[in-house]
Amino acid sequence: METLSYQDVNRHVIDRCREGDNRAQYELYKLYSKAMFNVSMRITNDYAEAEDVLQEAFISAFKNLHSYKAEASFGSWLKKIVVNAAINAVRKRKSELVPLEERTVGDVPDEVYEDETEWQVEKVRRAIQKLPDGYRVVLSLYLLEGYDHAEIGEIMGITESTSKSQYSRAKKKLLEIMREPQFAA
Amino acid sequence: MKEGLEKFVSEHRDEFDVFEPRPELWQKICPHVPPIEQVKDKKEAKVISFSFGERASFSADMFFMRVAAAIILLLGCGLTLFLMKQNTPEAAYTIAATTEQAKLRKIAPELVEVEAYYTSQIEEKKSQLTEYDLKVLGLDEQQDIDRELARLDSSYTQLKKQLYTTPNTDKVMGAMIQNLQIRIEVLNRQLEVLQRIEKLQKQRTTQPQKDETSNV
Repeated sequence: METLSYQDVNRHVIDRCREGDNRAQYELYKLYSKAMFNVSMRITNDYAEAEDVLQEAFISAFKNLHSYKAEASFGSWLKKIVVNAAINAVRKRKSELVPLEERTVGDVPDEVYEDETEWQVEKVRRAIQKLPDGYRVVLSLYLLEGYDHAEIGEIMGITESTSKSQYSRAKKKLLEIMREPQFAA
Repeated sequence: MKEGLEKFVSEHRDEFDVFEPRPELWQKICPHVPPIEQVKDKKEAKVISFSFGERASFSADMFFMRVAAAIILLLGCGLTLFLMKQNTPEAAYTIAATTEQAKLRKIAPELVEVEAYYTSQIEEKKSQLTEYDLKVLGLDEQQDIDRELARLDSSYTQLKKQLYTTPNTDKVMGAMIQNLQIRIEVLNRQLEVLQRIEKLQKQRTTQPQKDETSNV
């Protein structure tokens, strides 16, 4: 229900964009640029690269606006474009997003230390930034972008179970980072 | 149910979006965003549609309409020019004359040349005649000659009409040529008369001059 009303709000703007209305395109950009930039930022972990990705994604979105069917919300359609562009950017600088040794599904122990009261948004966010690319992307997609493991597997070209194990390892690593004394400081 | 980290993140989801792109980034995106034509032309060309009620309606794209407009304009110009030319009597006459000429060529091909020859002769004689100032020469006979020539001319046109209808073209043609020859003869006579009068007048004017010089 929430996504439906969300869609309806922007429908006239999207329609005007389809007609090539530049002001409508700017409106749409203003509506989504911040959220999409943060998506891009979390995946690329680089400000300049995240901007390039955002630029590329918006241009491609406006060019392919006619292929957008209202079956999904515009936000999620756009997000998919941004995510794909961002992952491509990360892949360019590093050939392997998921390190080989991580692909074997091992027994990953649950979080040893989860004291919620100590968590702060800023701390978690910075810890995520410290994760290696492979971990960070999977964790961000699952935790923050709301994709399930099947979707992540599809986006990244890995199996669902690889995504699950990768996420577990990423989470473990994240908690480790947060526990580090120099990180708290 | 979500627990631990997942729960915390979903509760504070909005707070995680801390970054913002530079405001000038739109300036980089804007020029690459496809303008109206690119977006629309992929799917549909600009179409103008006409509908005259429910019965007749048609639609055409912009290119077709431009071509159609150009053709209509050209046709309009051509038609007005044609009508203007037709309205001038001269043009009408030449058209009629040429068609008659063609007809004549079919019936009696040799007559066309003969006619052309005699008419040129007649015109020449007539122009020679006009060189003389008849009043000065004291002649009013010209009127009679004109009348005679007009009579010959009308009979000639009658003969020409007959030529189209009668099977015996040789006889009619003979009469026509005779008619032309008579006209030339009449003109020649007149010319002779005028030349003789002129000679006489010259003699009269030169003689007194001679007398004067001899006197001095």
